[in-house]
Amino acid sequence: MKNRVIQKVAALFLASGMVMSLAACNSSADSSAAPSSSEAAASAGGTSKGTIKFGLIAPLTGVHAEYGQGFQTATKIAADEINAAGGVNGYQIEIEVQDSAADPKTSADIATQFCEDDDIKAIIGDFTSSCCMADAPIVDQYQCVLLSPTASNPDYAPMSDYCFSVMYNQANMAPWVGKSVIGKYMGVKSVAVMYLNTDWGISTNQYLLQGLSEAGIQVLADEAYEEKETDFSSIIAKLKASNAEAVCILDQGNVPTIINQIKTSGWGPKLVTQGPGASQQMLDLCGKNAEGLVITDSSYITEDNPKTKDFYDKFYAMNQCAPTDHSLCAYNCVEMLASAIESIGDGDITREAIKDALKTTTYDGMAGTVKFDENGGGVRQFLILGVKDGKYVVDEDYGYE
Amino acid sequence: MLSQYMINQLVNGLCQGFIYALIALGFAVIVGIVGLATFTHGEIIMIGAYASYYIFSACGNNLFLGLFASFCASWLVGILVYKLCYEQFLNVPEHISLICTIGFSMLLKNLAQIFFGTEKKPMLDIIDNRIYSLGPVEISKVQIVIMVTVLALSALMMMIFNWTKWGVALRSVSQNREAAALVGINVKQTIMVGNCIGCAMAGVAGMLIGIYYQAIYPTMGATLSMKAFAAATLGGLTSVPLSALGGGILGLIENLGISISSASFRDVFSFGFLIIILIFKPTGFVKRKGVRP
Repeated sequence: MKNRVIQKVAALFLASGMVMSLAACNSSADSSAAPSSSEAAASAGGTSKGTIKFGLIAPLTGVHAEYGQGFQTATKIAADEINAAGGVNGYQIEIEVQDSAADPKTSADIATQFCEDDDIKAIIGDFTSSCCMADAPIVDQYQCVLLSPTASNPDYAPMSDYCFSVMYNQANMAPWVGKSVIGKYMGVKSVAVMYLNTDWGISTNQYLLQGLSEAGIQVLADEAYEEKETDFSSIIAKLKASNAEAVCILDQGNVPTIINQIKTSGWGPKLVTQGPGASQQMLDLCGKNAEGLVITDSSYITEDNPKTKDFYDKFYAMNQCAPTDHSLCAYNCVEMLASAIESIGDGDITREAIKDALKTTTYDGMAGTVKFDENGGGVRQFLILGVKDGKYVVDEDYGYE
Repeated sequence: MLSQYMINQLVNGLCQGFIYALIALGFAVIVGIVGLATFTHGEIIMIGAYASYYIFSACGNNLFLGLFASFCASWLVGILVYKLCYEQFLNVPEHISLICTIGFSMLLKNLAQIFFGTEKKPMLDIIDNRIYSLGPVEISKVQIVIMVTVLALSALMMMIFNWTKWGVALRSVSQNREAAALVGINVKQTIMVGNCIGCAMAGVAGMLIGIYYQAIYPTMGATLSMKAFAAATLGGLTSVPLSALGGGILGLIENLGISISSASFRDVFSFGFLIIILIFKPTGFVKRKGVRP
């Protein structure tokens, strides 16, 4: 009898523990359902002709909540700044936020809702490429601009004349890494490449090889590996045997592990990586092994970077966390729409006019110049960063060709 | 004539194999010697790694302190696993405790993500890295530490299970629980300690893996424990030294395969090899069919 009771209590404990742990995984995401940030418009006075409204579709809840809330904060910062400076062409900017939870179906519903609201002149969002691609046919039908801060799938922007993205894709980025960074900046004659065996890694590798062959650099090894790989020693031995001057790593999360294992193997090639971005985590995980690493990034947002300090401080005050490049892109979206509207001048601010103006808009902000290619895909500039004494140093500013 | 490159790949493969062997050791103890089914092994590895990580960051890089911490932490978790997943289910079909361990492994993984964070944690320079060259063979200090640990633990386990009174008791329990109880063996306690020894092996493995790969994270055990399972299967699931041998061979096969093709095919070589061996010799490397020692 007693055994039965213990058995039941144990089962209950296990079951409730499992449920709780699952619930806890989700709870961090939906802590704050965000309110609309229409107060942005009210904050500035002056002689205003009225307001221009943008819709923002962002994953405020769900797995990507961190980025969605970053979008909300960053667009509010941009709108507040523009409004405080007297607005754009005398108009105040207002942003209406809706939560897509990174679900393509919800995102498409919100896109329809925004498109049917005549007050909304353009839509900013969504976070994931798949959400943006679900929204594309809708904005195409209603002829309303959809400007995504982060969609990097090369197939998204060509879907419609009205689809734009400010995030770069590898078709623009990787050839530059091969030609300018590895070829010209590092000045190496031979390189070994290791890349992640995913859609992203395979296409990035192809674009990189393209740039390398243009620069006439010898590729002595080109090795793929699986995402869950933990032991890179055999690939490293292979690359080492090729006697390449430099190793280029195309990956995100595995880069620190790979760098550590290269150093542990007693080999000292020049190291360059494309993908992980200049994060603090990378320095923590590599320690002194990161010294001399060359890394490319489209933005470098820290407290001590004077160009982005103002944005960093404002973002931190509102969101209690440091901004990422994704938030910066959302900020750029508002600025680009504003400069598109500015270039329309005294003409009618219609959805069509915004689309036409946006095509030729170039925005020169705190993180370099942003413009669009012929399809509406983002073209950004990049920094070349190096690691010295455990810190990132900007070696070449934006515009290195 | 072997080139320097192939020799290096062999050393890498051997070391990788010893990592698999390290995990397979504990697995063979729990599954083979004690006769329990477990799916929490990967998570115990992770617990051991985190225990040593916190000790290293609190008390400095003292290898023995770290070893002690990971040993104790995984021993304690071993008791918990026994109490929750095995004790009440000793006299019912095995699959009930098997499902329990699957649930418990999810629980541990998720709790670790909540309490330790989902990001990778660095475990740098615990052992001063030095590379020794013996002729054409280059081997690092960490690799030597791992190999020595596996050999020592393997020998120790063999001694405990074959030569001590307690080891004989444990083997009799795994053969026939009722009969063991009749001759005066405390069955439950023996099983619990056996399980804890297996878990402690895993914890120590976790620490060494953390040191070798220089980073730890909550899901680190999952992929490695699959390979260790394969290694233990090669060892017939019953023999500790043969499981270690299975791990070593798997690592060698994988790395030789990678050196002639691509690292994307790592699992093809290891599991392909396992399948081939099992087709021709279903008992793995052991002579007799699945009888517990």
